[in-house]
Amino acid sequence: MDRVLSDFIVSLRHAGVRISISETLDALQSVRLVGYNDRETLRDALLAALPKSAPEKEIFARCFDHFFSFDYFADADATAGPDSATVRAATDFSLPRTLLSGDQAALVMAMREAARAANLMDIRFFTQRSLYTLRILDRMGLPALDAQIQAMQADGSPGAAQQASALEKARTFLVDNVRRYVAQQLTLNTPTATQNLLTSYLRHAKLSMLEQQHFQDMHSIIQRMVKRLNDLHSRRRKASRRGQLDFKKTLRKNITYQGFLFDPKWKKRKIERPDLVVICDISRSVMRTVRFLLLFLYGLNKAIVRIRTFIFCSNLIEITSIFDEYPVEVAVEKIRLGADLPILMGRTDYDQSFRDFKANHLDSVSRKTTVLILGDARNNYAEAQTGILKMIYERSKRLIWLNPEPPPFWGTGDSEMKKYIPFCSMVKECNTLHHLEGVVTSLVHHRH
Amino acid sequence: MQTIHDEKFSSPEAIGRGFKEQGFIASRQIMTTAFLAYQLGKPLLVEGPAGVGKTELAKTTAAFLDLPLIRLQCYEGLDESKALYEWKYGKQLLYTQLLKDKLDSIINRENGFAESIDKLHRYDDIFFSRHFLEPRPLLKALQQEGGAVLLVDEIDKADDEFEAFLLEILSDFQVSIPEIGTVQAVTKPVVFLTSNNTRELSEALKRRCLHLFIPFPEPALERNIIRIRVPGISEKLGRQLVAFIQAVRQLEIRKAPSISETIDWARVLLILHAEELSSDLVRDTLNIFLKFEEDIAVVAERLHPLTAGAVRAAGD
Repeated sequence: MDRVLSDFIVSLRHAGVRISISETLDALQSVRLVGYNDRETLRDALLAALPKSAPEKEIFARCFDHFFSFDYFADADATAGPDSATVRAATDFSLPRTLLSGDQAALVMAMREAARAANLMDIRFFTQRSLYTLRILDRMGLPALDAQIQAMQADGSPGAAQQASALEKARTFLVDNVRRYVAQQLTLNTPTATQNLLTSYLRHAKLSMLEQQHFQDMHSIIQRMVKRLNDLHSRRRKASRRGQLDFKKTLRKNITYQGFLFDPKWKKRKIERPDLVVICDISRSVMRTVRFLLLFLYGLNKAIVRIRTFIFCSNLIEITSIFDEYPVEVAVEKIRLGADLPILMGRTDYDQSFRDFKANHLDSVSRKTTVLILGDARNNYAEAQTGILKMIYERSKRLIWLNPEPPPFWGTGDSEMKKYIPFCSMVKECNTLHHLEGVVTSLVHHRH
Repeated sequence: MQTIHDEKFSSPEAIGRGFKEQGFIASRQIMTTAFLAYQLGKPLLVEGPAGVGKTELAKTTAAFLDLPLIRLQCYEGLDESKALYEWKYGKQLLYTQLLKDKLDSIINRENGFAESIDKLHRYDDIFFSRHFLEPRPLLKALQQEGGAVLLVDEIDKADDEFEAFLLEILSDFQVSIPEIGTVQAVTKPVVFLTSNNTRELSEALKRRCLHLFIPFPEPALERNIIRIRVPGISEKLGRQLVAFIQAVRQLEIRKAPSISETIDWARVLLILHAEELSSDLVRDTLNIFLKFEEDIAVVAERLHPLTAGAVRAAGD
């Protein structure tokens, strides 16, 4: 029965529950203690040993019900018709005989064996359904059954025809059940497989091309990425807080106590959190990317990064307060709609926006500040001065320009990207989640 | 593990009976998990909303096994010196003062400085021996001759570092003290950890424990608990009050009332000599099981339908 348990654990893993070897051993021992006799007790025992959080327990409950369900071939007796005894006597093959005898347990066992031999555990996509069904049926001896039915029909005698139709009925019954079993195994296995595929697709998909329906998935992917970044960097901060004895300082301080080392002083490394000024173009062509960048940035822990955000189209305004006031998702939505904001959604005017920034907000940029500009640099053929950008560049620690267009398009048409490039510390193409993650990681990673 | 207790923990049903004698009504899930934790000798990590009896489970186990309960309450900044051991600095100082003359004579008889130091080295281990060791809960639990029930309460409140530090104890039931060496458990303690899920615990810790999630109880179980814990209450009132609490848990409120609050409320109603639930009675006693002003407002608004619903549900 250990084989059953390990099969179950495999399907749990497929469903997204993380189970280690030691937990598998725990489960084995638990099962040995409580046995397979009582379904509820078995369930409780595995519930204690395998899943370790509330969401995992939910997945477990679903998998357990699916996996340990015994409703296959439930009405096996029905196929065992009144005249089946004679048919049974006439066949030499084991499959028809079990089928007609209505032995549910034997049928389930045979199906499971065949499924195992056909590696049903590897099924991933719904397109593989018929393939696996066929394989299992093959192994259970369907070809022989078919041959027999054909032989009986060819025989022509009334008895044989009757027998053939009984077998035909049994065959349908068998195929139905196997198909159902395969479908169910598929539902056990696929959620993560498809999910993984979708995740990797979404990470590399162009943000501007995304369908509305994937936004929810994107949010959860972003949350996961952000959580990883947060974990990574909050730990580093904590570690760097641990001081060593600062001997010089201790001596100096303790002179007042006649040189007794009474009050130890510790070396402390001051942790600088990146000071971030984000300037986003929110014209329609860039809005999608902006949305995800902001979701990403504001998901980061406040202790890791300090952010001021500006948006511009025809003019430039500061929107930091919106993020202080509302949760990130709401704030981003508010900005997208642009309601109640003194922003003009006319032609994108980089020059005017930079002038606005210089007039009102230039003091927000200091030697410690990293400036992040997100825009396609398409200035609608208006004049583009680089003076203010240069000024920002010189005042800041770094100036990073993120462009949602791929590099070959920079400088074509009304794009002024080529003009701006000399005044940026770094210029990056940024139009997938993957890019965004790279940028944000380099932001928080940057050593000071 | 402790063979003397094996009989008490021989099956989930035996545990259920034993717990019931101690006034703790356990669901099947709890019984089975406690049974496995004991039989496998594994720590048990208990999670669930506040007040569903996580700590009570450990206390009951201790009472049932007749073992001392050693409790370690976790909080931010908890470290080894408070959880594991501490040197008795005061005693060390006192002894050095008392032994000053002795020390003088040891050192003075020698002429050279190096020789004195040499001689001192021969004694220095005395001050860092078990006599000067102040055991804190974890070490105490390992040193108990007859075994103990160790309760690490609200592990989620402690720092990540402390969690990592616990791993050695949880998997091998031993701790390393640099000055003395590794201390093995005399008898393996029964370990319970509780968490309120304020943060995600590390995978490593979870892997070493069996896991038990105690949800809010089913109505039947909760009625049973009330009957045992508040014996004087009438059957009818008990049913009504459980139905009411169960309905309140479905509402959108900040802190849903848990078993401990249900018990408190039942006791209050008993003192007030209530025979059955009425809107006025509930209004006057809302603050017993609701701990936030907003929550009281939410429930007070729906007081009549809720009470009527509870009375009706209990009548069926």
